Amino acid sequence: MTQPPDNENGRRRYAFYSGCCFQGADARFFDILQQVFDKVDVSLELIADAVCCGAGVIEERSELASLAINARNMACAERMGLPFFTPCSTCFNVIANCKKRLAEDARLFDQVNAILAEDGIQYSGEVELTHTLYILAHDVGLTKLGERVTHPLHGLRVASFYGCHTRNPADIQEYESSHNPTSLEDILQVLGAECLDYESRNNCCGYHVAWPNPDLSKTMTGVVLEGAQKQEVDLMVTSCPLCFKNLDGVQPKALAAAGKPFQLPVLYLPELVGLACGMSPEDMKLDFHTVPVNVRL
Amino acid sequence: MTPGKITPKRERLLANIRVQRFMPGQDASPYFDNFKLNVETGMTVLAALRKIKDEQDSTLTFRAFCRSAICGSCTVRVNGNSVLACSTQLLPILKDFGKGSVTITPMANLPVLRDLVVDIDPIIDKLAKMHPYLIENPERIPEALEQESLMSQDELNRFDHLTDCILCGACYSACSSLKADASYAGPVTIAKAYRFSIDVRDDFRGIRDQAAIDQGLWSCVQCRRCIKVCPKDTRPADTVRRARKLTMEDGIRDTPGSRRAKAYVADIERFGQVNKPMLPVVVFGTKGWDAIESAEAALTKHGIEPTRRVCTLPGQDGAAKIFERVRQIEEEEDKQ
Repeated sequence: MTQPPDNENGRRRYAFYSGCCFQGADARFFDILQQVFDKVDVSLELIADAVCCGAGVIEERSELASLAINARNMACAERMGLPFFTPCSTCFNVIANCKKRLAEDARLFDQVNAILAEDGIQYSGEVELTHTLYILAHDVGLTKLGERVTHPLHGLRVASFYGCHTRNPADIQEYESSHNPTSLEDILQVLGAECLDYESRNNCCGYHVAWPNPDLSKTMTGVVLEGAQKQEVDLMVTSCPLCFKNLDGVQPKALAAAGKPFQLPVLYLPELVGLACGMSPEDMKLDFHTVPVNVRL
Repeated sequence: MTPGKITPKRERLLANIRVQRFMPGQDASPYFDNFKLNVETGMTVLAALRKIKDEQDSTLTFRAFCRSAICGSCTVRVNGNSVLACSTQLLPILKDFGKGSVTITPMANLPVLRDLVVDIDPIIDKLAKMHPYLIENPERIPEALEQESLMSQDELNRFDHLTDCILCGACYSACSSLKADASYAGPVTIAKAYRFSIDVRDDFRGIRDQAAIDQGLWSCVQCRRCIKVCPKDTRPADTVRRARKLTMEDGIRDTPGSRRAKAYVADIERFGQVNKPMLPVVVFGTKGWDAIESAEAALTKHGIEPTRRVCTLPGQDGAAKIFERVRQIEEEEDKQ
């Protein structure tokens, strides 16, 4: 894998694809991510001209539209000459899937490029895709990240949760084993936290079935939370912003439906990295959480 | 390396094979037995199970037949991952997990009959409800027996890869939605229904559409696990999306899932993005207002002015052009 280019200050630069989780009502996530990445000398350059990836849902109407839109998104990063970075695991999954399909099917590749050409855009397929996990664990590296930790999280018992879309299918990313990924736990250990194994660690949080089948979604969310709760962890941490929105935001309803009235704080990975690197709960805007984060950090 | 001379690196590792045991009626709950085994380069999970049965415990029970990844009977889970025992090597898994030990458990989402053998009747029952056979389409099936029912390559390509399915149930075992709702059809049965519905010789698509909807077509969470485990790379979760498309085209549009799909496409075409603030009403009708109002109250609490308008991405013009062009292409393809 190629290393992202550094500029004269030794900072790593990435073309940033925001998805729907990092703007509008959720713009605070972008703010948090920028603060945290600034600590580890990473600069994000917003991809101008981006379009929503469609979260796989538009494929239920047109696979070609999904492929063309996401080839266009990648082509925008190619023009910037930077690796394509999205912090959203679902955007990552949909766009990586698009890249793979176009690499395997020359006819489809040409068809998509013909559509994009009408707008003066060309997709080469050479862009590198990355996610928060891999920027922190691979590009920045655990040594450098460890050097930035000023408030180690010693004694903090954590349930780590990847979610599905950086793990399935097996070839969706090439940074680590998808059957036994360790990047999230590696990062958390560098922060000083203790990761506990728990039975629902590899479950799906249910986010993507929340619209078509809300009851099923809440059941899945509840099972994930209960599994972590059984290990008496202080909090859950997830590298997926959608898992975070679901496990935190839907938690009261999911646990009420399951008849399990406990509260388990859930953090989005960059929030915990920020806290360990000396940023305040206010900086990380923890008061936005549905479930109060009242653990000692 | 000298051409023509192959000298593979032979490795051997003394490993602990942890196998789930269970005899209903005799054991109160499943338990684990540990077997020490020299795992060698190339040794499959099935070879290891046979060796244990031959040399250490003849009561160990598992199901297997062809040893060629075609009969689909030896599916088990290794470290939680659903695999065909006969086509999965143990050494790479031991190395990946780096623990000198692997855990073998029966398929998930199905009742255990004994040790690693499960009852696959729930899959068969759900499959039967999908009408997994061709019902003659008189427009494509010639009347005389000696005439062939011809099909173009493009028509075959719609389902060709799905005929590779060997009904091994790995996708069923890995399914996240089934884990939470045992009544859900599961990837394998939806894929089988789609395989027949999309066949031009068939005339039973509408019935299968409804059968799939009734058995939870919209309950798939798209975790993509079935794609990961399918030993024949048939990509069941992608087929679920295509099956959903089929039902919408055939007129079953009064479901929250189909309303979501319609809204996503229309919004991205218009705004370059999904109009999330209004999605609850679009998907759930007037019931959705509660969700909108509580989301707005939460934003107001944090001093953020709520909006019911989508925050537009700059690429919206580009998205509109793509959708317009794709529609033209798809209309041309439909005419052919």
